[in-house]
Amino acid sequence: MALASIEAFAHGVDSSTRNFLETHSGVQIIPFMYIGAKHMVTGYDHLLFLVGVLFFLHRSRDVLLYVSMFTIGHSVTLMTGVLANIEVNAYLIDAIIGLSVVYKGFDNLGGFKHFFGKQPNPKVAVLIFGLFHGFGLATKIQEFQLPGDGLVANLLAFNVGVELGQFMALLFILLTINYWRKHESFNRFAKTTNTALMSAGFMLVGMQLTGYFIN
Amino acid sequence: MESNQESRSLIKASVIAFAIAILALVFFILPAEYNLDPTGVGKQLGLTVFNENQAATNTGAQGSSEKAPGEQNSVVLTVPAGKGIEYKLSVQQFKKVNYEWLTDGGEIYVDLHGEPAGDTSGYFESYAIATLPEMKGSFTAPFDGSHGWYWKNTSSKDMKIQLLFDGDYIIEGLK
Repeated sequence: MALASIEAFAHGVDSSTRNFLETHSGVQIIPFMYIGAKHMVTGYDHLLFLVGVLFFLHRSRDVLLYVSMFTIGHSVTLMTGVLANIEVNAYLIDAIIGLSVVYKGFDNLGGFKHFFGKQPNPKVAVLIFGLFHGFGLATKIQEFQLPGDGLVANLLAFNVGVELGQFMALLFILLTINYWRKHESFNRFAKTTNTALMSAGFMLVGMQLTGYFIN
Repeated sequence: MESNQESRSLIKASVIAFAIAILALVFFILPAEYNLDPTGVGKQLGLTVFNENQAATNTGAQGSSEKAPGEQNSVVLTVPAGKGIEYKLSVQQFKKVNYEWLTDGGEIYVDLHGEPAGDTSGYFESYAIATLPEMKGSFTAPFDGSHGWYWKNTSSKDMKIQLLFDGDYIIEGLK
């Protein structure tokens, strides 16, 4: 009986992760950290959003502040989403995450300031989108249908992994942007880059909404 | 005046971003991700191939052409100590599979089961659950989908299983 249920939750997960879930139960700190970190490093939607957020931040104090807002946002919804068993449609959440990329690109282009006279508080915006990104993560980890045994510890480990993965991704993005900022081409292509960001965001929205409607 | 220009430039950037996104979606992303290909460009570029393959393995549409009738398959699988493996066949509804397997090291937990094609809920139906050193039998698939064995080796040393089977299926192999 126990094995049958192990079998059931292992479906729909990539084979190595599934193998891990099949053969382990209880508290598994390091593997869950790894899954979290991997999710962040390979999650192009999160990365695009971070590129947008970091694009015009050059003071490390600001970087720290904005990244913390994002982290607080997604940690809150990741934990509550899983613990309260809130199931949000993954396509819709991912569409909103795509929208966050569009928003940040448009914001970086100065769109809100220009059309509405003032830019919506960017820190609050990052926090709110952080909340949505957290729901996205919660939906992903709920697909694993984790056993209650050791759930909180595993979730915390997953969240720590997400932060570690985000930290690594941030390091690369920051190094690249800071290096690029020293060159004249940065300003010349700032508009193009943010337009491309918006475009990528639109693609994500379109892809996820299509998925939502056909599934 | 200057403000007008900026408005125009912002609108232009947004429209370009949107247009590129629509083109990429229609020509590349939707055909590749969902097999939605209104223009046919995706198919010409070979992008719909992901979904075609999946459909073929799921429904077993090409099953009979891949294998001569009556041909018997044989595989030797290793179940690592403390681990479980799955070996699957794609079988259409009401098609029959005969099988026989045995281990090199005594009893092993086995769950012979099927998962309906296209199901994402994790549902599966077990036809036999037992702990045995060998087993022989047959099953007729009650639905289209992926059918096969889950073995779990609870012992402390690796175990080998020889599996023989024939019938109407496409081999999906180790999962």
